[in-house]
Amino acid sequence: MLAEQAQENSSLSTVVADVANGVALALDGEGGSYALSALLAQDDAVALAAVRVLGADVLAPYALGAPPGGGPDEQVVRKALAAYPPGADASEVSVWSYRGLVEASRAFLPAGGDWPDTPQAGAAWLQTDPWPRLTHRASQLAALALPGLAPALAAGLAARTEDLARGFVRAVRRRDWLQAAGAGRWLARVPDVPQSLGLDAGLVYVRRMSGGDPRVALHAAAARRFHLRGPR
Amino acid sequence: MTAAPPALLHRVGDLALSWLDARREMFRLTDEDLATGRGIVERLKPVGELAINMRVLAREGVAGSRQHDCSVRLLDHAWRELLDGGNLLAELQRQEPLSPVPLEVYASLHELGHRHPGLENAIDLARSTRSWRALEMMPSRRLGVLNAERKLGLVPSGDMAEALAATWLGRMPEPWTVQLHIAYDITHTVFHLTDWGAAPDRLPPEIADYLALWLPAWMADWAELQHWDLLGELLVVDACLPRPTLDAGMWELYAAAQSELGAMPVQGPMPEGSPETVFDQVHHPTLVAAFASAMATSRALSADVAA
Repeated sequence: MLAEQAQENSSLSTVVADVANGVALALDGEGGSYALSALLAQDDAVALAAVRVLGADVLAPYALGAPPGGGPDEQVVRKALAAYPPGADASEVSVWSYRGLVEASRAFLPAGGDWPDTPQAGAAWLQTDPWPRLTHRASQLAALALPGLAPALAAGLAARTEDLARGFVRAVRRRDWLQAAGAGRWLARVPDVPQSLGLDAGLVYVRRMSGGDPRVALHAAAARRFHLRGPR
Repeated sequence: MTAAPPALLHRVGDLALSWLDARREMFRLTDEDLATGRGIVERLKPVGELAINMRVLAREGVAGSRQHDCSVRLLDHAWRELLDGGNLLAELQRQEPLSPVPLEVYASLHELGHRHPGLENAIDLARSTRSWRALEMMPSRRLGVLNAERKLGLVPSGDMAEALAATWLGRMPEPWTVQLHIAYDITHTVFHLTDWGAAPDRLPPEIADYLALWLPAWMADWAELQHWDLLGELLVVDACLPRPTLDAGMWELYAAAQSELGAMPVQGPMPEGSPETVFDQVHHPTLVAAFASAMATSRALSADVAA
């Protein structure tokens, strides 16, 4: 049982990495046309979990203005939303992330209409979290930094730019490249990021130091494509 | 961020100073130190730090009378027993006429009223050369030499602003690149620039802003790594800012790391070993604790703590 679980976990991280890599390549302008369904060998539970883990980012290339995703993408996203809805005791991050995927589906997939309702997600932490915890959560929600999604979240974080910048520094110091990249992606959106932070060099540094982590590459690629920050 | 209560700030220093006072005989120069010039330099550095710390305590006037007595005893021990009334520094200058070390150690003692005319003549002689201004050294140390000259009432041998511009902090680089040795370069730049906290207004506003912005991130990180020696120095830097945070969370962690008797470990838990070994390992962080406490208590009692 344990071995089975370990295998499942490892295959989940493999699929997450594969999809993240595909999204990052698409954002970097490489790898031809993008289709989420083409990155998934099959739509089994692991693939659907990977979609849920990456959230709105599985649709990020469509936010560049390319033709919206087709029917197969829509199906796989619908299945992922149905398979992993946030439960009653879900963390705020989980609710926000689910909400991000619903919002991205409405915005970037063709069908429109009957997507699930967007659940209410707690936002008090945006004001009350001390900066290390704020940064941790914001980084987990970096997929929602896509243009046009979750305006309340974006506004709440934009009001705490200095705190996020401190969190970026702490994350780099701790060599938590994924957290740093996620925080850096939010910081890339705001015009008043402290100049002394050196965000552009920081995003390049984080991407290199992560040793090719596809999820880090995805955040760095998004910061560059959508906000012209970081790796050129 | 909530500011730590003055009683907590004060207690850290009170304990640290008691611990140091009870062990002042352990501040010593071994025969080996005396036989090799380098040993002397290594042993003199903590003596200089000791003198500077004690001077700060006296200057801030926040220590109780018992603490003041402790600090005077430590200082007298350093001057009389370790430095032989300054003769040791004069001898070091004779062996190495261009060494800045005697000046760096003597400046604080001079400010506290100790005098050695022969040493002052030797320092004057070194300063009369172009070589003195050409000495190669770390930019933050250059600031320290200029500050020491100023404290002796001499015309500094270089421009303070230029020296600052050559330091890491003076260039205000990416804060996420700070590593252990860079962090110590930052703290020492602030110590020398502000004359160990006596003149916080010598921090240019842009550097004060830079520190206010990034210091919390550095403190949080080294607190998590339990690096108490560096955390203590960063807490001193905080206390040197125009609006210090005196962050309660940081001070509580720092205070909790202190041994019951008052010693502060360098990193992690207190080391084990003979009293001498332990003293050699922890006297520096314990001095820093006394220093940080004096500075922070003084600032807490003024009204300019950051919200």
